[in-house]
Amino acid sequence: MALTITCPICGKRNGYEFRFGGEEKGPRPEEKDLTPQAWCDYVHMNKCVAGVQEEWWFHKDGCGSWFKILRDTTTNLEQAAGEAAK
Amino acid sequence: MFFKNKPMWGKKTKLKSSYDVVIIGGGLHSLATAYYLSKEHGITDIAIIEKNYIGFGGAGRNTAIVRANQRTRYNVPLYKEALDLWPVLTKELDYNLMFNNCGNLNLMHSEAAMKAARMTIATAQFHGVESHLIDAKQAKELVPALNISEDITFPIHGAMFHPPGGVVRHDAVVWGLAKGCAKNGVQIHQQTEALDIGTRNGKVTSVTTSRGTINTKQVLISAGGYSAALIYDMLGIKLPISVLTIQAMVTQPLKPVLDHVVSSGAYHCYANQTLKGEIATGAHMDPWPNYTTLNTAHYIKHQAEALSEFLPCLRGVRFMRIWGGLADMTPDMAPIMDGNDQVEGFFMDCGWGYFGFKSCSAVGKYMAQFMAGNECPGMLKPFNLNRYQEHKLMGETAALVNYSPDN
Repeated sequence: MALTITCPICGKRNGYEFRFGGEEKGPRPEEKDLTPQAWCDYVHMNKCVAGVQEEWWFHKDGCGSWFKILRDTTTNLEQAAGEAAK
Repeated sequence: MFFKNKPMWGKKTKLKSSYDVVIIGGGLHSLATAYYLSKEHGITDIAIIEKNYIGFGGAGRNTAIVRANQRTRYNVPLYKEALDLWPVLTKELDYNLMFNNCGNLNLMHSEAAMKAARMTIATAQFHGVESHLIDAKQAKELVPALNISEDITFPIHGAMFHPPGGVVRHDAVVWGLAKGCAKNGVQIHQQTEALDIGTRNGKVTSVTTSRGTINTKQVLISAGGYSAALIYDMLGIKLPISVLTIQAMVTQPLKPVLDHVVSSGAYHCYANQTLKGEIATGAHMDPWPNYTTLNTAHYIKHQAEALSEFLPCLRGVRFMRIWGGLADMTPDMAPIMDGNDQVEGFFMDCGWGYFGFKSCSAVGKYMAQFMAGNECPGMLKPFNLNRYQEHKLMGETAALVNYSPDN
């Protein structure tokens, strides 16, 4: 389950320095006309992709930045943006 | 692969082009549901579709612990029934499931934890589940190997003692239920991957597999940790689930030293001695979602540290085997059982996290009732998917846990 993550500021580091921040779900829904379904979707629901997914990470034992990466959940390997698009 | 030519549960069958019910996943929840459908509801035209072999997933990877000391009034009766069913199933299936009700000792390491335990015990007792609060001295009397001194990382304040719990031989449950299913005419198809679910006008019509399409009106996905990905992939239904690898390991065999299941939330560690003498112990989940089921030095070290603190006699004992399985965690640590809601004829049984094994017997019974009558039994009603939207999360944890970060 080894994982290295490339922080935009600190570069490639040990995965245990980071905190997983959830799947990328787009922008927070607007408060106006917000339905319980849309809010639940944003807060709780996941796609649980077995493959490459876009996700958030926080460099908690480092620079403190929040950023997105692409990772293959079946191998724990980071993917370059171009590679994932193929 | 195992039993490819001559299955141990019965005759090898040919995949037909239609079934009354198709069940995706060859684990314990699927086998138990098929068993009860065929035994109690006369529905025997069932295909269980399994990509690998039966018991490949959580059914063969859990640490065999069973108990009924959950926290909410919805969960406790379900787990109690599951626990009560082990001796019944052993007789019914005519297969030794090796149920050993040695009792569970859940260690508490602070006054706050003792308070939380008091509430859980009150709930258990209200529902007729035996569970007591004991102090550190009494815990030491039950498990003399326990270290109750003050100079460990998390000194033991007391424990929640749950005598009817224990361990069940998990592989035996797989084999016993498979035999029971086959005897009633259920077909088990290994090495068969489910690829898609066909629907028309909001109703299930077929299941596409790697070995052809099957026409069916009812399909159940109960594929353990793989359920959430399958359900999203096939039907576009998103679930409040995070799938994480959870690791477990056994030590070399020892003479009898531990005759209860001992667990500790603070140490993130639980241990029991198997009938072979090994100390089987489990760790906490990986801190980020993944499907690898790989092991890490990080957790081997963590287990060794935890065990050698509260069971110091294990210092120097070697780990012999280590493995990983998947836990599909929900935000409220309670499962999702639903059906005929999003799509008519589609049922799901998932989100069990690391409670899938201990619940399988009772869940099979109620999911079978659900599918046979097309009406949700009262026992399962609180576990619907809509509860997240209605903000009716179940309080299965004393404090809200966020299942990826930092724990």
